[in-house]
Amino acid sequence: MKKILNDPFHYVDELLEGLVAAHPEFYRRTGIGGRVIARPGEARPGKVGIVTGGGSGHLPVFTGYVGKGLLDACAVGDVFASPSVDQMADAIRVANGGAGVLRLYGNYGGDIMNFDMAGDIVEMEDISTTTVLLTDDVASAPPAEAEKRRGVAGMVYAFKIAGAAAETGADLGEVTRIAQKAADAVRSTGVALTPCIVPQAGKPTFSIAEDEMEIGMGIHGEPGVRVGKLEPADRIAGEMIDMILKDRPIRPGDRISPLVNSLGATPPEELYILYRTVKQRIEAAGGEIVMPLVGRYATSMEMVGVSFTFCWLDEELETYLKAPAECAFWRV
Amino acid sequence: MPLTRDGLIAGLSAVADHMETVADVLNTLDGQLGDGDLGVTMVRGGREVKTVLADLPPEIGESLMKVAQAFTRVSGSSYGTLVATGLMSAAKATRGRTEVPWSEVSGLLNGAFETMKARGKAELGNKTVLDTLDAAAKATNGLDDPRAILAAARKAVAETMDRMRQTPAQIGRARIFADKSIGLDDPGMVAFAEMLKGLG
Repeated sequence: MKKILNDPFHYVDELLEGLVAAHPEFYRRTGIGGRVIARPGEARPGKVGIVTGGGSGHLPVFTGYVGKGLLDACAVGDVFASPSVDQMADAIRVANGGAGVLRLYGNYGGDIMNFDMAGDIVEMEDISTTTVLLTDDVASAPPAEAEKRRGVAGMVYAFKIAGAAAETGADLGEVTRIAQKAADAVRSTGVALTPCIVPQAGKPTFSIAEDEMEIGMGIHGEPGVRVGKLEPADRIAGEMIDMILKDRPIRPGDRISPLVNSLGATPPEELYILYRTVKQRIEAAGGEIVMPLVGRYATSMEMVGVSFTFCWLDEELETYLKAPAECAFWRV
Repeated sequence: MPLTRDGLIAGLSAVADHMETVADVLNTLDGQLGDGDLGVTMVRGGREVKTVLADLPPEIGESLMKVAQAFTRVSGSSYGTLVATGLMSAAKATRGRTEVPWSEVSGLLNGAFETMKARGKAELGNKTVLDTLDAAAKATNGLDDPRAILAAARKAVAETMDRMRQTPAQIGRARIFADKSIGLDDPGMVAFAEMLKGLG
């Protein structure tokens, strides 16, 4: 293992310590064991709170997207491990301004069980909660079983859009409806060239030959749909876009925000090489590009690889996507 | 006399103590079909529950919620989560009440069954704790004496285990060992039976 760290078992706590030290204007640490990151100050009375949670190792996801016009709090687990029920309950409490709290997170079994139980706990304290799960990874299950799909980079759109809706003072039902609409509007897929190393395990999450890539791989190294020889950028982009469009074709006039995302180690240079094909394909199908995002939005630490997310926008979603928002990693 | 905080504490304490004596049995049984930590889960959960008993509030619902939270704090396994889910279901149904009539036990068991079924995404007949829980809920329907309730629940659980012993496990990790599970009791059912045994 070649990583910059101290004790692997302090990896998450030390990164959180540094995160809030560097950006106190955006983040504060609270909750059991300091494993909740929240906006500074108290929850705004009457504003619907939005919480997320999940394993570490994906920055800016999840914690990084706490911020104005985005999330209110995040429960932080160890690398690739679910936060505890109590941490999630604390995140809900700190996000609660009396108008209820939306739990918005990726479709992973451990996270669901724990967030559901956290909801049971805070219900006894008269905090209403709702849930919207992100299921944007088209490679993780066929369309007939779309509800089983994992949540990946598409959650960034849901955070942004739901966060903007909550900021307007919309009630819990309305924020939940919009979050679900955003979740339904995103499709993602990825390709991995190298694995990453979970600090506490000290070993790569999977193995792949020097000259190979895995299309459709999950962000924790879950098996993808195809392992093959590494191909030129335009061909890789084409295959990933084919997977997305097979799931949801572009109709002429569709307005789409594309996200070309680095899984960690892939540099922006290569993302821009890939973006050429993204733009070409969306426009060739008659789609219009809105607010393209290119960069590191959802990662798996030092994994080499990229993901593409397309977010289909209507007027409502586009308004919320373009509304002001600010965190340490993203400003709109 | 209805169920009160004192009765709850006595019962939970007895169950937790009993788990210490059956941990090895549960671990061994679970090790044949799963990861072999069920006894550890129950003992750790029981010990943590005992640490909160003295501070439980007089309301049954609020007490059960504290107990459920204590259980989840230390037992990360799916069985631990399911037990806590069942406790939370009962907590919601008894919220704000310092006395709960024994006639409600059947309904509380059924409520726990429904929420655990939903959370565990299992069905009746999958050879899980749900089968025994459902049997206990049905067998105790209409009863309002704690001894009669316990006797009926234990009988129903034992009969369900006898009936399902020769069927294969259909869900969870034990499903991978479906053939091997034929002839063996489901570890989760055994843990539930032992919880009842701990009550007397």
